[in-house]
Amino acid sequence: MLLEQVEYVRPESVGDALEILASDEGAAPLAGGQSLVNVLKNRVASVDVLVDISRLAELSSIARTADGGLSIGACVTYDALDRSPEVRASHWMLGEVAAHIEDQQIRNKGTIGGNCCLSDPTNNLPPILVALGAVMELRSRTGERSVPAVDFFKGYFATALEPGELLVSVTVPPIPEHSGAGYASLAVGADAKALVRAAARVTLDGSGATIADSCLVLARVAHVPVRDAEAEARLNGADATEEAVRAACAGVADGMQPIADVHGSSEYRRQMAKVTARRAVVQAIAAARGSRNGSTAGGK
Amino acid sequence: MTITSAPVTGEATKTWSGRAMPRKEDWRLVQGQGSFVDDGGMYGQGYAWFVRSPYGHARIVSIDCEPALSMDGVYTVLTGEEAKAMCEAPFFAIAPPPGSLMQEWPLAVGKVRYQGDAVAVVLADSRETARDAAERIVVEYEPLPAVTEGVAAADPTAPLLYDEAGTNVVWHGVFDYGDVDWALENADHVVKLDRLHFHRFSSTPLECNGAVVDFDHGTGMVSVLSNYQMPMFAAMVIGPTIGVPMNKFNFVTKDIGGAFGLKIGFYPQIAALALLSKKAGRPAKWTEFRTEHMLTAGHGNERTFIDIEVPVMADGTILGVKARAFDDAGAYLHYEPLGAVIWSQVVPGCYKLKHVRVDYTEVVSNKCPVTPNRGYSRMQHLWMIERIVDVVAHELGLDPVEVRKRNYVQPEDYPYETPNGCIYDSGDLPRSLDIALELAHVDEWRARQRELGTGSGRRIGIGIGSTLDSGTNNFGQSRIINPELPFSGNGEVAIAKLDLFGEINVNLGTTPQGQGHETTASQVAADILGVTPDDVTVSTGFNQANNAYVGFSGTYASQFAVTGLCAVMGAAQKLRHQIVKLAAFALHADEDEIELAGGVARVRGDEERAIPFIGLANMVYTNNAGLPAELLNECDLNARYAYVPPFEVPDTVAKTGNLTLTYASQVHVCVVEIDEETGEVKILDYAAVDDCGKRINPLVVEGQVHGATGLGIAASLYESLDYDESGQLEEPSFYEYHVATSLDIPNIVCGDIESPSPFTPNGAKGMGEGGGAPLHAVCSAIQDAIGAGGPIVTDSHNHWARVYEMLQRAPGAPRGVEVISRSAGSDTGATSL
Ligand SMILES: Cc1cc2nc3c(=O)[nH]c(=O)nc-3n(C[C@H](O)[C@H](O)[C@H](O)COP(=O)(O)OP(=O)(O)OC[C@H]3O[C@@H](n4cnc5c(N)ncnc54)[C@H](O)[C@@H]3O)c2cc1C
Repeated sequence: MLLEQVEYVRPESVGDALEILASDEGAAPLAGGQSLVNVLKNRVASVDVLVDISRLAELSSIARTADGGLSIGACVTYDALDRSPEVRASHWMLGEVAAHIEDQQIRNKGTIGGNCCLSDPTNNLPPILVALGAVMELRSRTGERSVPAVDFFKGYFATALEPGELLVSVTVPPIPEHSGAGYASLAVGADAKALVRAAARVTLDGSGATIADSCLVLARVAHVPVRDAEAEARLNGADATEEAVRAACAGVADGMQPIADVHGSSEYRRQMAKVTARRAVVQAIAAARGSRNGSTAGGK
Repeated sequence: MTITSAPVTGEATKTWSGRAMPRKEDWRLVQGQGSFVDDGGMYGQGYAWFVRSPYGHARIVSIDCEPALSMDGVYTVLTGEEAKAMCEAPFFAIAPPPGSLMQEWPLAVGKVRYQGDAVAVVLADSRETARDAAERIVVEYEPLPAVTEGVAAADPTAPLLYDEAGTNVVWHGVFDYGDVDWALENADHVVKLDRLHFHRFSSTPLECNGAVVDFDHGTGMVSVLSNYQMPMFAAMVIGPTIGVPMNKFNFVTKDIGGAFGLKIGFYPQIAALALLSKKAGRPAKWTEFRTEHMLTAGHGNERTFIDIEVPVMADGTILGVKARAFDDAGAYLHYEPLGAVIWSQVVPGCYKLKHVRVDYTEVVSNKCPVTPNRGYSRMQHLWMIERIVDVVAHELGLDPVEVRKRNYVQPEDYPYETPNGCIYDSGDLPRSLDIALELAHVDEWRARQRELGTGSGRRIGIGIGSTLDSGTNNFGQSRIINPELPFSGNGEVAIAKLDLFGEINVNLGTTPQGQGHETTASQVAADILGVTPDDVTVSTGFNQANNAYVGFSGTYASQFAVTGLCAVMGAAQKLRHQIVKLAAFALHADEDEIELAGGVARVRGDEERAIPFIGLANMVYTNNAGLPAELLNECDLNARYAYVPPFEVPDTVAKTGNLTLTYASQVHVCVVEIDEETGEVKILDYAAVDDCGKRINPLVVEGQVHGATGLGIAASLYESLDYDESGQLEEPSFYEYHVATSLDIPNIVCGDIESPSPFTPNGAKGMGEGGGAPLHAVCSAIQDAIGAGGPIVTDSHNHWARVYEMLQRAPGAPRGVEVISRSAGSDTGATSL
């Protein structure tokens, strides 16, 4: 309803899709349509041809990689991530984050590929993928390349994708021993837009008492997920206790100039980044210690 | 203490009135079988799309419609200048000068005054085409500086919205009762507050505005199928503008998906659609979109109070209040400046304040026009009163419960005359408060609060909101704004009819939007006519052709239980009288021997002598030869009754008089937990005690309490409509404006007492608006959590970031409050905190 006139094609293969995308500048991939269709209805962007990739079997599977990681097809839905025994077995928190994206209708349609390629700063998956060290597998008519997630998100609704290029899958490396992931957001009101998020991955030393390595990703502080290297440096070697984490997170975002928008001022975001960072790291420590690879808390 | 829901006074309920019955209309609404404005249409209709300004304030340099007109499927385009040329006058102004100089036409002429102001409207063969065409219309604007804050707008140096008026001030008046200067000089303490701000928000109806309008060139009839909630007000405002007399309108409403007062504001769109239809020669259908609604359909009144001074005695008796109020009406005056007097229905709030002076200024600004919004204008004032009562308790170290109880109008004081001559009809505020405190487990939470102490990172706060829902307006109060206005009193009409086969039908002048009128009207009629509510068909919505209306007809301002149901009562009694008369004739009995039961009129004590309603209908409609003319004249089985509440015209110079008939009261208690590191406010317990006199259907009442409470909590924590300096709305969609859902609203425990109104024939009081109690209670709870010495809660909206900022504010930073103590024995003397 109220879309501008637009053409729609449903190619039979990724190859065909790439052909169409390469030959028509006004063509755009349609995955779950949960953002693209809204954008078209609001008429903030316009497209000549919608290339529906959502039903391509090649893009819809989740496979275990040789090293124990995951290869997730770009058109795997949030619901499929949430319910996948494979994902839950090795990357529990990724399933948990997917399980908390908006409502069931959106989870039935929205895809990991769409969530990343839109690069909407409020989207849930980019920060956790950066924290897990995921790699984006891109393909065009002329070739393939791999881009680490941390380099894939370029800006407000901007990614490393070149015209005519598709994201075909996301490779998530295995989570090492004694490691875990955490994820925390702050949103004012149920199902409201998060004003700040943090995703963390920590590896504990053999005794489980200290943090050996960490990755701390902040979202909604800038327009793309960013790692706080200074905070990571303070975390590495710190005791794996709430007090030590609190101390290490006290300076989170201090060197940054957080964005301001209707959901929160720059200064409030800075303060809340500290809180969500701590919550995410504490979750990650619990997960690292737990029998599961993710804690039961968080994901939201 | 045990809590019961039993009425404290009042007679035993009759058969149907007073029963908590499920609503008759719900079955069709929950099965998707309701019929809303967008479900309707007219033969040959086109679809309308408004071209709206992206600027907050700009001069219209030119409009080029050609690119739209040349598209296939576009019927026509109407611009502001063209519309004006088709009009006989600007819309009728409620305000005297200078407000009356701020003229409005169906579409913007010469300049746009807020983001979303309509400059043209397209009619096409589909919504899609209309929208595409609207995008092709080229409007050249010259942006102008904007003013988006009420106090600033009143400044003579501010950018002017209406050059013709020479000011942004719409109306100014001083409401001065008692002797506040004396009180301030003689009080033991004077509590001073710099500023309190009541924010802008909307009640966000599920259904946006909509209308299908046909201008019939043959008959001159203008048919308006819409979800407009006060149809004859729209007719009275737009008729003289577009040159249509009242008897050439046919306003119709169907099911309405929420209105809250906001659906009084869109008469300019109806006028524009009428002109568009006139120009195109076919009906015009318009269904508002959500972002369009948020930008243009109307927001609630935003009010800033400054220089607030409160004289208080040592024992906590509050003598009164002095303040300056600035109300920001937005860009056009829709129903305004009525808000400038409507608040004075509740001058002292729930309290016996004797000395009140409010210096009131209403301004225009480059923001969406305000419309009435649930709690309209009284809520803003009551929030200010409730804040000052709370702050007084806080600053003087008194118990907020005791301060309220000491100052409340007491049960024995009713009927209580306020300093401006309003008569509070009945109530028991101290008991309402006790019940609310009990239902919210306040004793337990106080203990938990003490246990928690400091250092846990969490704080508990307990807040009280005492408020009034004044209902059944005396429209004579409009003359306090403008003595020339031809308005006073109020009224509503119902028609009760026995149809051809003896069916009972009731037509109302109201426009229900979820208030259950079909149910309660049939309960009332059933009792009088000796049938069950299922036997009574109440037509849905308003239809001018039914002739069941007066000028004030509609559903707004907490009055249906009084105006609507008393009209039903009167009409049903009239019909009953006719039925009895006919039955007495048919059964050869005396009228006082006739009783009605189960759809039959019979002679008391003689079951054999009976006639069913179908037999009586037959006598009148289809088998009337030989009946006495006198009987037929009197008994047409079509009984129309206009209920008119008893009112006098107020004193427009002293600004006194009885402005509303009834005063329902609400006392809410809210317990919050605040997370110190984020400012998150979580509601732990919530109780709402309502006293609206006799309840015709307690279930409907509870539904209204839940709705009003949900909206109030949403406004206090989540929903705010803010503009940047250039006049851009920062929350034009649900992406930015977090509309609270059931997930955000805590469990609400309801309690009730019934203090019947002595002034209404049925003892009932209007209660749908709810007086904004949650805003008062949530602010009070946050204040309690902040604790002694902390900043004052000065805004009605407390987003987590604001709460966080208050908790962070350095000790010693300005708190926005000052207490000057003068009592002789006081050991503090004059303190400045
Ligand atoms: C009401 C609502 C609320 C929402 N709230 C949230 C939220 O809180 N958090 C959140 O994360 N998401 C939210 N979403 C967005 C949702 O997650 C979208 O599904 C997501 O942003 C896009 O995924 P999609 O599969 O629907 O992609 P589409 O909408 O189909 O596409 C999005 C963009 O990505 C491009 N694209 C898609 N797939 C590929 C690919 N494989 N290769 C290259 N380009 C591609 C498209 O061309 C388009 O530009 C919400 C959506 C709705 C409707």
